[in-house]
Amino acid sequence: MSLLEVKGISKHFGGVAALRNVDVQMTSGETLGMIGPNGSGKTTFVNIVTGHLVPDSGQLLFNEGSIAGTAPHRLAALGLTRTYQAVRVFGGLSVGKNIEAAMLLGLPGAPESAERNELVHWLRLDHRLASLAGSLTLFEQRRLELLMRLLQRPQLIMLDEPVGGLAVTEVREMIALLHELKARCSIFVIEHTMRVIRELADRVVVLMAGEKIADGPPADILRDRRVVEQYLGTTHA
Amino acid sequence: MNGRRLAFALALAALAAPFVLEGNRFLAFVFGIVMINLLWASGMNLLYGFVGLMPLMFAGIAGIAAYAMVALTREAGWSFWLATPVAAVGAALVGVLLGLPSLRLKGFYFTLCSLVIQTVLTLAFTFFPRFTNGDTGLNQIAPPDGWGGVPLAGVWFDATLALVATLGVLLSAWIVQTRLGQRFIAIREDDVLAEVMGIDVVRNRIIAFAIVSIYAAVGGCFYASYVGFVSPRSFDVLTSLGIWLCVAFGGRGTIIGPIIGTVILAPIPYLLQELQAFKDVLSGVLIIVVTLVMPAGIYGEIMRRRALRTAVALRAQAAGDPAGATATPAVAAMPGTVDAGVAR
Repeated sequence: MSLLEVKGISKHFGGVAALRNVDVQMTSGETLGMIGPNGSGKTTFVNIVTGHLVPDSGQLLFNEGSIAGTAPHRLAALGLTRTYQAVRVFGGLSVGKNIEAAMLLGLPGAPESAERNELVHWLRLDHRLASLAGSLTLFEQRRLELLMRLLQRPQLIMLDEPVGGLAVTEVREMIALLHELKARCSIFVIEHTMRVIRELADRVVVLMAGEKIADGPPADILRDRRVVEQYLGTTHA
Repeated sequence: MNGRRLAFALALAALAAPFVLEGNRFLAFVFGIVMINLLWASGMNLLYGFVGLMPLMFAGIAGIAAYAMVALTREAGWSFWLATPVAAVGAALVGVLLGLPSLRLKGFYFTLCSLVIQTVLTLAFTFFPRFTNGDTGLNQIAPPDGWGGVPLAGVWFDATLALVATLGVLLSAWIVQTRLGQRFIAIREDDVLAEVMGIDVVRNRIIAFAIVSIYAAVGGCFYASYVGFVSPRSFDVLTSLGIWLCVAFGGRGTIIGPIIGTVILAPIPYLLQELQAFKDVLSGVLIIVVTLVMPAGIYGEIMRRRALRTAVALRAQAAGDPAGATATPAVAAMPGTVDAGVAR
C-alpha cells in the first residue's frame, strides 16, 4: 500500500524554483533515499511534506489522505515525523525531560514504561537520563532525536542527513542503528554519505536543481551516467 | 526543606504578616503593594519564564481591567467581586488578541512589538478619557465590600491581598507541573521542535496569554481599589518593566525566584519615596546587572553554583575511585542551565 504519495509538487521562493513538478511515491516498510547536490531542493521537499512549507502546487497524500496544509503537530499525531539537518533537541532540559516532552502528545497506545526503557537501552542513553541534552555529544543527541520520534510511534520518519558531522566509527554505528530502525517504521533519508544510501536505501530519488532526474534501486542509480557526472564525480563510481 | 513545606511556610508567613504589621499602617500598605506585585510577577513568570515570551504590555492589560472594574462598579453599580471576574475575562480576551503577534514573532521581536502595544495602550488611556479621566486619573476608587456590607479596609484588605497572591503563586506552581506547563516549557526551549513533537504551539501560546492576562487583570483591579487612585502612569511601560525585573532578578522559570525578586524589589519605590530620581536609576542599574551578571537571576545563580559544586564533588569522587570514572558528564552541562531558551 502506498504510504506517501507526492504528485507534481512545485515550490518557488521569489524567482527561484526550489522544486519543479516533483513526484515521489513510497510504500509502507520501504526505505527511500534522496540525494542531490546542495541547493537541489532536498530539504525543501522534506519541509513541504512535513508541513513546514506550503507548496505552490501539487498533491500530498499520506496513507491515501490529503495532508496538504496540515500543521506539523497534526502530522506528528498521524505518524509522520522528521529530524533536522542541524541536530535539534531541547538542549536546556535533561534527557529524561526530553523524553517526557516527546510523550506529551499523549497518543492512545503510547509506549508503556517497559517499552520506553527498551528504546532508551537500544539507543544507549540509559546512563545519560539526568544529563542536559545540550551537553551530550552530537552522536548521542542524534540518538536522542531518534528516541523522541520513536516514542510517538511514527509510520514514516524523514531523516535529514542523519550522519552529518559524525565521526567515521559513529557513522558505522548509526547505519547499524538505522538498519534496526527499518523494522520499526518506514524511513525517508536525505544523505550525502553514499555509504548510508548504498547500505540502507531500497530505492533512491535524485534531485538536481529542483527536478527529479532519476528514481530507482541504489545500485543502478549510483552507476547512472548523469548522476555520476553531475553529482558524485568519478571517484565514487 | 522540600518544596511543599517551603510553600506552606511562605504562605503562612504571607497570611500572618498583615497582623504583625497592623500597628504600622505605612509598612502594612507597602506589604499590600508587594502582594499585588507578587501576583503580577507570578503571572509574568508563566509567560516569560515558562513560555519564553517577554510581554511588555502586561501593565496595559492590568490597566484595561482596572478601568473596566471602576466603570462597572461606579456607573453600573456592580460589586467589586462581580466586576473583577468580568473584567478579568474581558482582559483575557484582549490579552489573547494582543498576544496574536507572538504567533509570528519570537524573542526580541515579540518584546519590541509588545513595547509598541504598551505604548499605544498608555496613549489610549490618556487620550480617550471617557472611562479613564485622562492624565488626571481616577481617584477615590471605593474598596471592595467585605463581610456584611462593610467596606474592606486595613488589616483585612491586606490579608485578602496576601490570600490572593498566595493562591496566584500556588496556581502557577500547579500549572507548570501539569501537561500544559510541560508543553509551555517545550515551546520555550524550541518551538519548532515542540511543534514536530506534536505540540500545538499556536493553541498553547493563546492559552498562556489568556491565563497571564487574567493574572494581570486581577492584580490591576485589586491595585485600583487598594491604592484608590489610578492614572495612565499606574499602568505604563515602567510598571511592566518593574514586574519583569522582579521575575528576572529573582529567577525566571522557577516558582521561588519571582517571590525573592518581588520581596526585594517591589518595596523599593515606596521606601525610597524621598529619592524619586534615584529609584529610577537604581532600577536601570538592576536591569543591566541582571542581564550581564546574573542572566538566571538570584535563585538561578544559587542553583547553578549548587549544581557546579555537586559536579565537582562527583568528579573528585570519581578521581579517587577509578571504577566510577564515568561519573563526570554533568560538569560541562552546568553553565546556562536556565539561560537557555528564554531571551531568544
